[in-house]
Amino acid sequence: MIVQLLISSLVTGSIYALIALAMAIIYKASEIPNFAQGEMAMVSTYITFVLLSTFGFPFLTALVLTLTFAFLLGILFEFLLIRRAKEPNLLGFIIITLGFQLLLFGLAGWKWGSDQRTFTLPFSESEVVVRTSSFVLTEHNLASLIIAMVIMVILYLILNHTKLGLAMRACQQNVGAAMFNGIPANRILGITFGISSIVGAIAGILVAPITTLDPTMMWDPLVKGFAAAVLGSMKSLPGVVIGGLLLGLIENLFGFYVSLEFKSIVAFGVIMLILFIKPSGLFAKHYIRKV
Amino acid sequence: MEILVVENIVKGFGGVTAVQDLSFAVSKGEIYSIIGPNGAGKSTVFNCINGLYRPDSGTISFGGRDITGLNPDKIATAGISRTFQNLELFSRMTTLQNLLLGRHVSTTYSIWQMLTFNFRNSKAAKQEILQREKAEDVIEFLELEPYRDRPVFSLPYGVQKLVELGRALAMEPDILLLDEPAAGLNHEERQDMIFWIQDIRNELGITIVVIEHNMQLVKDISDRVLAINFGQKLVEGSVEDVLRDQSVIRAYLGEPAL
Amino acid sequence: MRLKRVYFEDIRLFKTTASLVWTLLFLLLLFLVPFIFKTYYLSVVNLMCLNVIVALGLNILVGNTGQISLGHAGFVAIGAYTAAILLQAGVPFVFTLIIAGLVSCLVGAFLGLPSLRLEGPYLAIVTLGFGLAVMVIIGRMEMFGGRMGLMIPRIDLNWSGLSYDRTLYYVFIIITILMTILAHNIIHSKIGRAFQAIRDSDIAASVTGINLVHYKTLSFAVSAFFAGIGGALWALYLQFVTPGTFSLMMSVLFLATVVLGGLGSVTGSVLGGIVMTLLNLQLEKVVTVPLFGDLIVFLSDTIMNPSGIANIRWVLTGLILILIILYEPHGLNGIWLRIKRYWNLWPF
Ligand SMILES: Nc1ncnc2c1ncn2[C@@H]1O[C@H](COP(=O)(O)OP(=O)(O)OP(=O)(O)O)[C@@H](O)[C@H]1O
Ligand SMILES: [Mg+2]
Repeated sequence: MIVQLLISSLVTGSIYALIALAMAIIYKASEIPNFAQGEMAMVSTYITFVLLSTFGFPFLTALVLTLTFAFLLGILFEFLLIRRAKEPNLLGFIIITLGFQLLLFGLAGWKWGSDQRTFTLPFSESEVVVRTSSFVLTEHNLASLIIAMVIMVILYLILNHTKLGLAMRACQQNVGAAMFNGIPANRILGITFGISSIVGAIAGILVAPITTLDPTMMWDPLVKGFAAAVLGSMKSLPGVVIGGLLLGLIENLFGFYVSLEFKSIVAFGVIMLILFIKPSGLFAKHYIRKV
Repeated sequence: MEILVVENIVKGFGGVTAVQDLSFAVSKGEIYSIIGPNGAGKSTVFNCINGLYRPDSGTISFGGRDITGLNPDKIATAGISRTFQNLELFSRMTTLQNLLLGRHVSTTYSIWQMLTFNFRNSKAAKQEILQREKAEDVIEFLELEPYRDRPVFSLPYGVQKLVELGRALAMEPDILLLDEPAAGLNHEERQDMIFWIQDIRNELGITIVVIEHNMQLVKDISDRVLAINFGQKLVEGSVEDVLRDQSVIRAYLGEPAL
Repeated sequence: MRLKRVYFEDIRLFKTTASLVWTLLFLLLLFLVPFIFKTYYLSVVNLMCLNVIVALGLNILVGNTGQISLGHAGFVAIGAYTAAILLQAGVPFVFTLIIAGLVSCLVGAFLGLPSLRLEGPYLAIVTLGFGLAVMVIIGRMEMFGGRMGLMIPRIDLNWSGLSYDRTLYYVFIIITILMTILAHNIIHSKIGRAFQAIRDSDIAASVTGINLVHYKTLSFAVSAFFAGIGGALWALYLQFVTPGTFSLMMSVLFLATVVLGGLGSVTGSVLGGIVMTLLNLQLEKVVTVPLFGDLIVFLSDTIMNPSGIANIRWVLTGLILILIILYEPHGLNGIWLRIKRYWNLWPF
């Protein structure tokens, strides 16, 4: 049983980690917690669904088109809204992202109705890959783990071994200095939003087959992903991945051994405790402003 | 009589030791300056004194009472007020409101008494009016009348510096810590600042500790000067002695200030 | 050259005779509403009252103290359920109201404690988690009626000699006025100044003698008190509470109310509460607006989907939030102030 629990923990944990990563990339670059992340992913997932079921595209084509859409959605969000905030403070940004979230939520509900649809991927939740006496590993489990891992590696490579990544990191450290060295900080932030939106979209595509496809499908995962990001301290990418996995583990163990009913909120209890001790999350030093 | 005594304080941040075994004492009624090159640890000393940082070791006593490690609000209540190197104002509030916040500790009415705030004869209303008069005194003293009802973020830098000074004064402190009061001011504003600092000491009898890079200001106002570098004391004494000291000149070498 | 003035003028409730006259006229209008409008409109005003009260409290926390709460629905729920249980037990309404406020206030203070050192997203997630936790816990406990919720008995309003609806209306109005005055007093007193000081610079606040622990906790507690009172009235208004009402969406909409009205201002909370209630009730009717409504219907029939048209409400709420931040960061209060200034410049 413990092996089975670990597998489910890893799977939910990696999905949380993907959402957490998507949020953390943006937060690192701009200190904006993007509450629209979930809805952006939800809309992208609907796009995949439409491409697959209405237009009958092969899965890979649909995926590529969806990710392109997600990228543009992120860039547009930054360009049309974030960049134009008059008094760019934390609360203002939170409100803008919440507003965008409501907007997308409403649009999706308007277009696709609120009836739940089933969303099937080439890797299904019911096909079993490995079955032993102690655990079952489904195709979806395996695919989720692999995809999450691949995304993390790609993100790592982009951030650490490309010019784009270098520019992104420069902007994270000091926007002024980056601009001075000829890095177009605005455009880099736009691209950051685009990349983050792609990561979110992939999480959405992985979530949809487990829940069902409807406009509220990302609410819970988003809150958990955000919680994971905070747990691992918003600004450390390895930190938020660990935060995601940890959250998945806590939830599943608690759900199995203690109470299934309160599984969904135990995470918050733990996070409150941890933040009480480490106010900036597990993997960051609490920063005291210099005066 | 010594009003503020700092003994052997040490404060480090991770790898850097910002203040190392520093001791000094400030006498009642004097203007005491602290100088030293950038990063010498001057601001850190202030932060330790008013409780924003807790020194790793050492003691700070004020008026004979040990205040090491107390919270900033306790230390403020004890009678130490300060200004900041890079302005820490309540920027969306008006000049008057900033000064009224300087009166916060002296405004004594409870949350229950606040409920009757709207009646002219209530304790809360009387207190508010009294504190308002005190704040108006400070406005008059620093000639801030034209800026009374403007949000401070909209004021010129020089005026903001004055508002911050005003807020510290409104607290009616026994000792005032000024962290680079003339930084960013033009020549004329700096002359005014010198005038006001002297006035505060001479007319209000408040003891003043100043951190400053501008040597003209230091020469004009200081009774005694402490020079530090790398968090350690270099020399302490009269202005002339300190500025002529070889170790001070070496610490500042290359800096045109001298 | 100091102008000798009576400083009481600056702290009194009505600074000018004009504002006193306007307020009196407004109160008169409120008083007359039951005699002019249908019962339905009474319940609209009641709903406005609830939203105004919660907004007043949330604005003190967010607009004045600069903290973030994405879990205010949790406090409203606590108020509503406390009231439901007490009213079922036959506790008189006045006590019920006060206890509901105090219970919520206490929980607010408790939530304030772990939040003391938290900022930005960290505070956001803790409050958000709190709101969700309240919803889940209430939904799972027998005592609170589980998912089915609780019925609330009508309170005794026979003493007034008026109909139940009219009396309830006056009760709501009076409570709202009292809460508005309370919020005004808090903001304009030393306490409100301390809140604003923390918002602008907590470091400077602490060196001017403000005890951060004390005041941040107080801000949470006060804000939760308002939400608790609002919740109690909510229970009375709906006569029925279920956990699903107090969702994350509700918390977001409260935040939206405050932002729409204008952060940090009592007038803003009142305007925001009124306008947001109207929007919530009327946004679905947007299709009947000339031109714009036609456009919506056209979109609905062509690229969107007619069956989902109710969702237009979220689209418009989202747009309003975004537009406010982009073009009018001071919200309705900012617009109101500008109108006033404009009339002051009027050459008569
Ligand atoms: N909150 C902090 N976190 C980390 N390091 C700090 C902090 N505050 C000060 N330091 C470090 O301590 C050292 C002394 O800083 P301090 O601000 O006291 O210098 P200073 O003498 O005031 O310099 P300046 O003249 O530039 O204001 C510096 O190396 C600084 O980087
Ligand atoms: Mg300094």
